[in-house]
Amino acid sequence: MNQKIKSVLIIGIQGALAKITAELLIKKHPQIKIHGVDSRPITDIAIRPQLTHHQIKYTRTNFEKIFREHHFDTILHLGRLGHSPAIGNINKRIDINLIGTNSILELAQKFHASKVVILSTHHVYGAHPDNPMFIKEDAPLRGSFKYAELRDVVEMDQMCTNWMWKNQNEIETIVLRPCNIIGPQIKNSITQYLRSPYAPIPIDFNPMFQFIHEFDMASIIVEAADKLKTGIYNVAADDVISLSEAAEIIAVKKLRIPIVLVEQLAKFVTPAWKFPHYLISYLKFSATLDNSEIKKNLGEDIFRFNAKEAIELLKYR
Amino acid sequence: MFTELNEIERVLADKYGHQRDPWGLEPKRAIADLKMLWPIYRYYFNVRVHDKDRVQDKPYMVVSNHTGQIPIDGMLICTAFATEVQGPRILRPLVERFLSSLPFLGKWSSEGGAVLGDRRNCLNLLKRGESVLIFPEGVQGIAKSPKDFYKLQRFTRGFLRMAIASKAEILPVAVVGAEEFYPFVFHFKKLAKFLKLPALPISPHLFPLPSPVDIYIGNPYSLPPELSIDALDEDLEPHLIEIEKRIQNLTTNGLNNRRTLFKRS
Repeated sequence: MNQKIKSVLIIGIQGALAKITAELLIKKHPQIKIHGVDSRPITDIAIRPQLTHHQIKYTRTNFEKIFREHHFDTILHLGRLGHSPAIGNINKRIDINLIGTNSILELAQKFHASKVVILSTHHVYGAHPDNPMFIKEDAPLRGSFKYAELRDVVEMDQMCTNWMWKNQNEIETIVLRPCNIIGPQIKNSITQYLRSPYAPIPIDFNPMFQFIHEFDMASIIVEAADKLKTGIYNVAADDVISLSEAAEIIAVKKLRIPIVLVEQLAKFVTPAWKFPHYLISYLKFSATLDNSEIKKNLGEDIFRFNAKEAIELLKYR
Repeated sequence: MFTELNEIERVLADKYGHQRDPWGLEPKRAIADLKMLWPIYRYYFNVRVHDKDRVQDKPYMVVSNHTGQIPIDGMLICTAFATEVQGPRILRPLVERFLSSLPFLGKWSSEGGAVLGDRRNCLNLLKRGESVLIFPEGVQGIAKSPKDFYKLQRFTRGFLRMAIASKAEILPVAVVGAEEFYPFVFHFKKLAKFLKLPALPISPHLFPLPSPVDIYIGNPYSLPPELSIDALDEDLEPHLIEIEKRIQNLTTNGLNNRRTLFKRS
């Protein structure tokens, strides 16, 4: 175990996953100092003597000041802006996901951080009819082939991995590509979709899905900061379930219609429903991850919840 | 007969359980489809399986000729391996990307056991102890004009590399009788290309004729253990030729004893 974790910067501390991660880090390393930053107003955060938080833009000079003053040994970049809160706002996403990430990486290097953990997503692979089941980390990133709205996600991942290999002798960098993260506190597109009553479920396709519970994901981020070596890691449990099974477990009334209608419906209701168009392709084709690399490095029993349990817990919120 | 089918249903249900597998196979649905197809297999196509005792209860890479314009031959081989061989199994046919992208049909085929034809899928399935069905002729094999019926097209080499990697035995199979499903067929090749379809066969009748089908099973073929997955194409070539030859021989023998629409026994 890496005993050097003393001072951590968590980017995107307003996110539910970042808050859980901070709690787990404090529990594991009681002497730790955590600084959490977010460009959004920071609310509903537990008061802990080890945790300080700041609302700040990642591109501002004040951001550099935090790095200068606190000498972080570990940076957890959990601040990628998803499509659900910023739908249609490509400028905001480019600002945070690309310019912001670039600035974070530059500052991490400039101020000699020893480890950077970046939370990317499985959406970088894209959902395509020719996806093999269990995509490996070295597969091409085809997420933005059909949907330009995923361009920032793919470019951010590529920027991080290029930077990772370029600086591998100076700084340990870990890029995590998790499957669908769900949980009572997470508010991403897939959680919203699963919980929504009368959300469309296609009758003409039934793709396979992987889910990871927010607690498991946060635990893996902590383990990544402690133990993982430089590299890219898919994060997903072993079990895979179909979309229709997931809908049955969640037991919320769904609208069962053909995907062609779903595509039209999504365009029509997007302003109110905030369902990104690219997710439609995930309702048609599977994009499941090979988890052998992370299990090889962190062990077989790193997941506390399987997919069904994670969905069950979502139901009882 | 129906008692026998019920027994097979029980064996398959025990073997595959009730859970979907990662590739979308839904055992309950696959078994229901099998029961629905079985009367067609037995009475409409009057299928006979020859040398079925060559199949043991272990995973195989089943390699077959591809005939009949639409992949009914695949369904018949799958039904044969579920009902007539030792160790009944849901064979996993590796299919074209085109099929998995189709609404309803893609879902139905994957719930019945079909899997996108990809090397990683094939290797993972064999690793899990499943048997896979491969048509190395691809679309070129199935979409033939009457003058080329039963002429084996050149096999692609991908399956050999997968057999080397998985150490699975290759089981050559030949289907005779399927080309007569659509004896008068015309291929709109240019229109198919324009519409981005793998093939566009046009026939005066929509439904396949009830041509009796014979499935011939050859002896399992093992590749030498010293052959590397990265072996040169020329090192694989003799094995490819041997497998093609075996399937062509099975087909030729089958054609010599062929049944017809009017002489079904």
